[in-house]
Amino acid sequence: MYRYSIAGLTTSSDIEMPGLHAGPDGDGADVSICRGAVPERLDGATASGPTWAMSPDRFLLRIPGIARFLLSGGAQITHQLEADGEAGDLAAFLTGTVFGILLHQRGLVVLHASGVNVGGRAVLFMGPSGSGKSTLATALAQRGYPLVTDDFCVIGADAAGRRLVHPDGRLPKLWAQAIRHLDLADRQGPAVRGRLAKFYVEPPLAPASAAPLPCGPVYALREARAPHKPGIQRPNIVDAALLLRHNAYRARLIRQMDQGELYFQLAAAICNAGGVFQLTRELDFDALAGVIADLERHWAESGQPAAVA
Amino acid sequence: MSRIVWLASYPKSGNTWFRLLVANLSATEAPTDINDMGERGGIASARTPFEFHTLLDSGLLTHDEADALRPRVYELMGPEDDGQDLRLVKAHDAYLPTPQGEPLLGGRAAADAAIVIVRDPRDIAPSLANHRGTSIDAAVDFMADKTACFAAATRAQPLQLRQRLLDWSGHVATWLDQPDLPTHIVRYEDLQADPVATFTAAMAFAGRDPARADVERAIEFARFERLQAQERERGFSEWRARGPSALFFRRGESQAWRGELTGDQVRRIESAHGPMMLRLGYLTTAEADARRAI
Repeated sequence: MYRYSIAGLTTSSDIEMPGLHAGPDGDGADVSICRGAVPERLDGATASGPTWAMSPDRFLLRIPGIARFLLSGGAQITHQLEADGEAGDLAAFLTGTVFGILLHQRGLVVLHASGVNVGGRAVLFMGPSGSGKSTLATALAQRGYPLVTDDFCVIGADAAGRRLVHPDGRLPKLWAQAIRHLDLADRQGPAVRGRLAKFYVEPPLAPASAAPLPCGPVYALREARAPHKPGIQRPNIVDAALLLRHNAYRARLIRQMDQGELYFQLAAAICNAGGVFQLTRELDFDALAGVIADLERHWAESGQPAAVA
Repeated sequence: MSRIVWLASYPKSGNTWFRLLVANLSATEAPTDINDMGERGGIASARTPFEFHTLLDSGLLTHDEADALRPRVYELMGPEDDGQDLRLVKAHDAYLPTPQGEPLLGGRAAADAAIVIVRDPRDIAPSLANHRGTSIDAAVDFMADKTACFAAATRAQPLQLRQRLLDWSGHVATWLDQPDLPTHIVRYEDLQADPVATFTAAMAFAGRDPARADVERAIEFARFERLQAQERERGFSEWRARGPSALFFRRGESQAWRGELTGDQVRRIESAHGPMMLRLGYLTTAEADARRAI
């Protein structure tokens, strides 16, 4: 069995999952991932979609032709390949959607975001798949800001209510085109799935430890299309709350799991701390250096410490 | 609860103009902002509703794997809609089956009908060249390519899901000849020549009965010069301009091809698409016969 620490949870797994922090040795685990029989339907489902069904304590995800996953009580993930499924594809789905839904099942706040460490705080970039989260975070890592998380991130709280982000060492996944533009060919790892030109990349600066970081500013990524011009804007608190809610990981489930209130509380906390911003920029590799310069200016103006490197 | 009525067309055939007419039906004081089309209902190939309903990262799926799930998404799009009495959804996909053999767009389980917008392929070619930032010759080739797609890249994640277009004739034929949905053809040229009658008939097909005054105002508000003026002033959110002076609302004319295409380009389009051009009234029988003889 492999052992990992994912979003602060000790996880044992019979599947190797690239690039996660190793978990502590021992027998116990918060989450265990094992092969086993997974039904095609979920008895007693209270909600369902084209690929999923949920009951109060179980969640079935079926990816046709690839695999089925059963998530139980926020603690157990069972996986079974579909007829033509390939075992090598499991890790990509387990570390993404499947674990993300398990975190929802545990009642945790999960954002669709990548993040970097800026002066000891986690700066997050939220956006849907394809919005450039991983590319921007990796480019910032090249610039000297260690990567904290890729694709999704759990935001917890300490006893004083301060919002915390757990670095979990997840390797960024980048398309071949992004790897070429960022000049990262020598750090390219295995393909995320054998049939995709999307690869794990060894980040230029990985997180130093899995210790949680206070949550800094959170940016919602948006492409600069008319009438929106490139720049950084601060929305009012109502719009900020909507942005966070829309960028919850697998936002479809928030209402289903009755968790809307958690995201409004999060919005209030972040607006009072690092702030929520809209980062509008050209979706163009040539524009990346300018975006990073804008961000550094923004951090300097708001009193954020400069790069650690 | 409303179900989808597809607004289906080959690219650059007037789909956006039609959606702006619909959006302007409810604009009373001033034209609808082209960047805020209240009724646009998205495009069938958008990733957001796909990921919302499937909970999957579409970027982790191959194009074919995503296609296999797309019918399920459209089955949910109509019923989950709230409040609109007409759900027009734009689609550039040809009407094709998934690898599993069911209609990609969900057939009758997802939609009630399709408004199919067509345009003279000789006018599409220069517009498509402008849209894709290619030469007109390359656009003519693209329109004759039976494997042509939008958003089919595999080394990066395109903004939208892959759309299989086929060649122009094949695209139109899949929509007109599919057995699942009733169709209503809107010819771009008719929409220009007699907008009130053409637009009113299309709305009637979709189950709406707009007042004549609303139709006339919508047509005035969505007049080409007004759309182009809005784009010059503020840009248009639905495309990435290829160059500083390129416009989405480029020319908006019929028969402009006579001044834009070379004789060779005209012959290539007519010989590749003669039968469908005849079917849609873009060539006479005599013209089509003459092209066949070449």
